[in-house]
Amino acid sequence: MTKTALITGITGQDGGYLAELLLEKGYLVHGMIRPTADISGNRVDALSRANPGRVHLHYADLTDTSSLAALMDKSEPDEVYHLAGQSHVQVSFDLPEYTGESTALGTMRLLEVIRQRHKPVRFYQAATSEIFGEPQEAPQTEHTPFRPVNPYAAAKLYAFSLVGVYRRAYGLHASNGILFNHESPFRGATYVTRKIARAAAEVAAGLSDGVALGNLEARRDWGYAVDYVRAMYLMVQAETPDDYVIATGESHSVREFCEHAFAHVGLDYTGYVHQDPAFMRPVDITETRGDATKARTLLGWEPTVTFEELVHMMVDAEVERIDHHA
Amino acid sequence: MPEKTALITGITGQDGAYLAELLLEKGYLVHGIKRRASLFNTDRVDHLYHDPHEQGVRFHMHYGDLTDATNLIRIVQETQPDEIYNLAAQSHVQVSFETPEYTANSDALGTLRLLEAVRILGLEKKTRFYQASTSEMFGKVQEVPQKETTPFYPRSPYGAAKVYAYWICVNYREAYGLHASNGILFNHESPVRGETFVTRKITRAVARIALGLQKDLYLGNMDSLRDWGHARDYVDAMWRMLQQEEPDDYVIATGRQHSVREFVERAFAEVGVTVGWRGAGIAEEGFIESIDAPLLERARNGYGPPVGDGPLKPDTVLVRIDPRYFRPTEVESLLGDPTKARERLGWVAATTFPELVQEMVWEDLGEAQRAELCRRGGFVVREGRE
Repeated sequence: MTKTALITGITGQDGGYLAELLLEKGYLVHGMIRPTADISGNRVDALSRANPGRVHLHYADLTDTSSLAALMDKSEPDEVYHLAGQSHVQVSFDLPEYTGESTALGTMRLLEVIRQRHKPVRFYQAATSEIFGEPQEAPQTEHTPFRPVNPYAAAKLYAFSLVGVYRRAYGLHASNGILFNHESPFRGATYVTRKIARAAAEVAAGLSDGVALGNLEARRDWGYAVDYVRAMYLMVQAETPDDYVIATGESHSVREFCEHAFAHVGLDYTGYVHQDPAFMRPVDITETRGDATKARTLLGWEPTVTFEELVHMMVDAEVERIDHHA
Repeated sequence: MPEKTALITGITGQDGAYLAELLLEKGYLVHGIKRRASLFNTDRVDHLYHDPHEQGVRFHMHYGDLTDATNLIRIVQETQPDEIYNLAAQSHVQVSFETPEYTANSDALGTLRLLEAVRILGLEKKTRFYQASTSEMFGKVQEVPQKETTPFYPRSPYGAAKVYAYWICVNYREAYGLHASNGILFNHESPVRGETFVTRKITRAVARIALGLQKDLYLGNMDSLRDWGHARDYVDAMWRMLQQEEPDDYVIATGRQHSVREFVERAFAEVGVTVGWRGAGIAEEGFIESIDAPLLERARNGYGPPVGDGPLKPDTVLVRIDPRYFRPTEVESLLGDPTKARERLGWVAATTFPELVQEMVWEDLGEAQRAELCRRGGFVVREGRE
């Protein structure tokens, strides 16, 4: 029987890759888009045209409970992948209330709508390594204490906790994927990895003088988004719901990312990258590094792309975009 | 020293009332925020409000709501407080399962809105902030006793919302240098505790049963263990936190644990009734093992039937289990370690468990006597049962 999935945040990086994966597996895919969304040029638009009748988009918003109830009625999903939310850390300092409304309360509204329908639905929650904040131990596992240091992470920790409450209190098959940073050529343009990749390509093409970044010494565990959406799918298929760290286990600095990205186009990054206090966060995390042993053992999940391959892939995609426009 | 100004959200609640009293005694100008309701909801602070000769003009109330950001900004702007105590919340755990959205909106985002108001108005350097955090954040407890470093594991929408508020408070302290402190308060009770909370439900029932106004009492999990202190002691801890040079987070607790069952036994003992238990699980019941007639007489103060008459006889069932009161996920064992508060704030929980139960039962006996007096006078007496 054909399975039906609902993806919130389908226009984002992960939503696009996940839709692709589920369509390959024969799913019928429903996606939530915000009333103000313009999907022309978005990957989901292309996916929808390539898979006639198998991709359905619905307007709804995480701040509007009745729209979420209607969304569930229209899509009747077997599986819900909840990826939507205001996900930019820096923006969450400027829009803390909206971040809380969409990321924290939005998850609550969706869970509550699902509970009140009394139909079996499996639920995936996009949790994030941001909830560890300045980590108490390295690497971080499912047992590492949480210490969120920005409004985005506080909202995500609320959502994470509530998924656990609904799992235990109501027996909902709801899992949290504590995903560490995951990138791709489709990463949002304001994220640091994409900014660097784009700058390297533009400098190489003579279109730019360089790029201003925040803290170059921040170390992150960066993986490839395609590997990470596969982990989401595996969690939902598992017999019992649970919480999993998804990470590569390696960390690299923003500086290293710059080094590799610029070297890939034959340049020395030092001439083109400068630190700008405007991009420094009020409170920043020095290093994140995850231990995905549990996911490897219980889900059989493995990352397939190395750090260097990821950087090269992102820079190549930017070079191609420039060539395409030229 | 110039007069200090405090703004208290949740002024109509148990803690709000005790805190307002404390701060007025200390010479503060006190502003309280209360929600608009068509019925009076200020019972607990009326005694402070209606004393115009000494304190009246130093205690002001404002209509407000934590779900309304512009309203909060205006009140903070108008009152220019030196200290904000954020005590307002939808604080009933069981109700939070029924109204998770309202709970999150007021308890989680409400705290954020208030912190943002301080920041928007540029009062980060002037205004100190107290956040009413709670032992419910520990939920499925990760260690016993719980202290400031114990990881949170909330098990209710209320607990999850309070964890958000806790971290957003820490975040504003670290990101913007706000003097913001969390008091992780364990259960704290008093004669003005809300009637739907288990302790007050018990003492109120005990008083009414003693006077023959009520037959029996239904409860949920009798073996839940709690660390119960007196609200009067706990508001003093709140004030002490804001007088520290550095903001910080503190567990406020007695460090002693008792079960709901013990609370029931001690409350009935106050009116001379010894409770025995029989049966198991949801069939368990508490019955009268023996009655100390002079004690019961004293509790009735002339308002009950003569001892020996009426339904209070050995073997009468007084306590029954109602599974409706079981929580979908019950917090099992709460015990706080108040060492940090003792060492840094010089704070101790002065009131003992027996003193707390005693005070609550005797206040409720007074209420029950008043109800009985009204009933004898032919007036309708409201039951007020859940």
